[in-house]
Amino acid sequence: MIVAEALHKRFRRPGARRAEAELVAVESVGFTAEDGAVTGLLGPNGAGKSTTLRMLATLIRPDGGRATIDGHDVATDVLAVRRSLGFMPHDAGVYPRLTARENVHYYARLCGLGTRESRLRTGELLERLDMIGFADRRAAGFSQGQRTKVALARALVHRPRTIMLDEPTNGLDVMATRSLRGIIGDLAAGGHCIVFSSHVMQEVAALCDTIAIVADGRVAMVDSLSGILSRTGESDLEDAFVSATGADGRRGG
Amino acid sequence: MSAAIVAAKEILDNLRDRQTLFYALLFGPVLLPLLLGGSLLASFKQLSIDFDAVTELAVEGSDHAPNLVAFLNANNVDTVVAPADPEMAVRVGDVPIVLTIDERYGLALRDGRPAPLTLLMDESDKGSNKAARRLRTLLGVHERTLNALRLQHRGVDPALFDSVELIVDDVSSDGASGQLLASLLPFLFIMSMVMGGFYLAIDTTAGERERRSLEPLLALPLSRASIVLGKFCATLAFVVLSVTLTAGSVWMLFRFAPTDLFGGQVRFDGSTVFHAVALASPLAPFIAALLITVSAWTRSTKEAQTYLGLLMVIPMAPFFVLQFLSVRATAWSVAIPMLAQYQLLERATLGEAIPRSFILLSVGGTLLCALLLLILAVHLYTRERVLG
Repeated sequence: MIVAEALHKRFRRPGARRAEAELVAVESVGFTAEDGAVTGLLGPNGAGKSTTLRMLATLIRPDGGRATIDGHDVATDVLAVRRSLGFMPHDAGVYPRLTARENVHYYARLCGLGTRESRLRTGELLERLDMIGFADRRAAGFSQGQRTKVALARALVHRPRTIMLDEPTNGLDVMATRSLRGIIGDLAAGGHCIVFSSHVMQEVAALCDTIAIVADGRVAMVDSLSGILSRTGESDLEDAFVSATGADGRRGG
Repeated sequence: MSAAIVAAKEILDNLRDRQTLFYALLFGPVLLPLLLGGSLLASFKQLSIDFDAVTELAVEGSDHAPNLVAFLNANNVDTVVAPADPEMAVRVGDVPIVLTIDERYGLALRDGRPAPLTLLMDESDKGSNKAARRLRTLLGVHERTLNALRLQHRGVDPALFDSVELIVDDVSSDGASGQLLASLLPFLFIMSMVMGGFYLAIDTTAGERERRSLEPLLALPLSRASIVLGKFCATLAFVVLSVTLTAGSVWMLFRFAPTDLFGGQVRFDGSTVFHAVALASPLAPFIAALLITVSAWTRSTKEAQTYLGLLMVIPMAPFFVLQFLSVRATAWSVAIPMLAQYQLLERATLGEAIPRSFILLSVGGTLLCALLLLILAVHLYTRERVLG
């Protein structure tokens, strides 16, 4: 379970001096993601979704607000947060010279599993994510879908209760997207707390129990799909999104 | 424990990378010693004349001076007939030199006048120079004999003309060549260490960030220090592998070198190489830490290659500086990494005694710097900017 309250993050502009104006990446983001449910962060590129997930994954420290993952504070209890969290960043980041199996096994070992246990757990995940066909090939020639599966297997290897996926369907074809959707649904049904970010309306509409609409570093609205539609008085999510963010709430990036 | 897992993965990963393997296994251990040591040995051989070796000399008009030809033959020079156009033959390098004996040679000799001989050589060619030097030396001997005979014939003691007896005892040239070789050894070792870890360090730090595999790695439940330590250990393994192989190939190379070439001053046997490696060994963690820290600081592999390329100057600097300035080994200088190893290895190779305090200082100074660099690398990995 994730509880985020008024998370705030600003960066120095690249190449700028300390005194110069800072770039606010996340103004104020708060939401709650329950166990056994899929929570979607919906927003355009540059809305602050990735920065929010990075703060929750303890990769960067929030400048304001607080957040807990399964009761552990992301600012102070870093290792406990990482133990209960599986994070798949925007880019799969698999090691091209290692096989799919070696990639997953490496993460299993780093998460503290023994050699035998790591082997078993890796084999289990390769089977569950339907990766046996390419398990022992080096990742250099993998398709985007195969890379995403490797990254997902790595994120799941230490049996985290909470799983965060940053734009997981990016670059996937229809079949790969369907397959991933199935996996996410299964994980939620198994009691996991799933948070995933996307800028694709259909994606979020099809999968999420709760949707947090993020624009300009703020959460504009959090509710179920039907709740959002009825609150905005719109018939589809896209219109609801525009209405919730106040017309054209986009900014580049 | 996590550090060991990281190190094992990075080693396996990079053993599959041809670039890393080339620099670790071939560049330092094979190419560098062959290029530097081989060319140095070759130039020594080219400069030193072996009067016992039989060579051929192209002679034009050998019929005019049978005695001279017999003298040359007796001194391991086989005379052959000169080519039709001797000048051109020397110019294009068909023969190194040509000795032309004038038809008036015999007559001039009998009349007690200087007997004309012409030596055709190419000053710009090393082989020609060497052959000419050898011939001049032999002709000098022959001339002295003839002079003595002429003087004795006229009842004059030849010693009368030797107002000065110059005894040349060349200690410098052999010493200098030994010195150069002794300073070459640390250069080879340090360069092979740097090249051995170069690509692995870049691949595991800047490369990892560029491939975007750093972000999920940093989100795992392990400390940043153990990640850095693991990458450091992997780099260290390649640095050690590279320098060990280099030591082996240096030892092989100098086994084939004639021992008297260095005037007996430098002995390149197993124990010399072993001592040199032992003295250079504290540099392995230092260089591994330096490579990791610099490439962790850069934003991309390209930038890392640029900075580490510039960094290459550091191992070379003491080599060149010590060639021109003689910096005496002091308690200060031997505490500075690289400079210390240059000075100590040179002394060890030349067979000089090294004070125990110098060894302790060099080990302590180098390891301390390695530790500081590692601490800096861990700090770099805890910054948010590390994600890029």
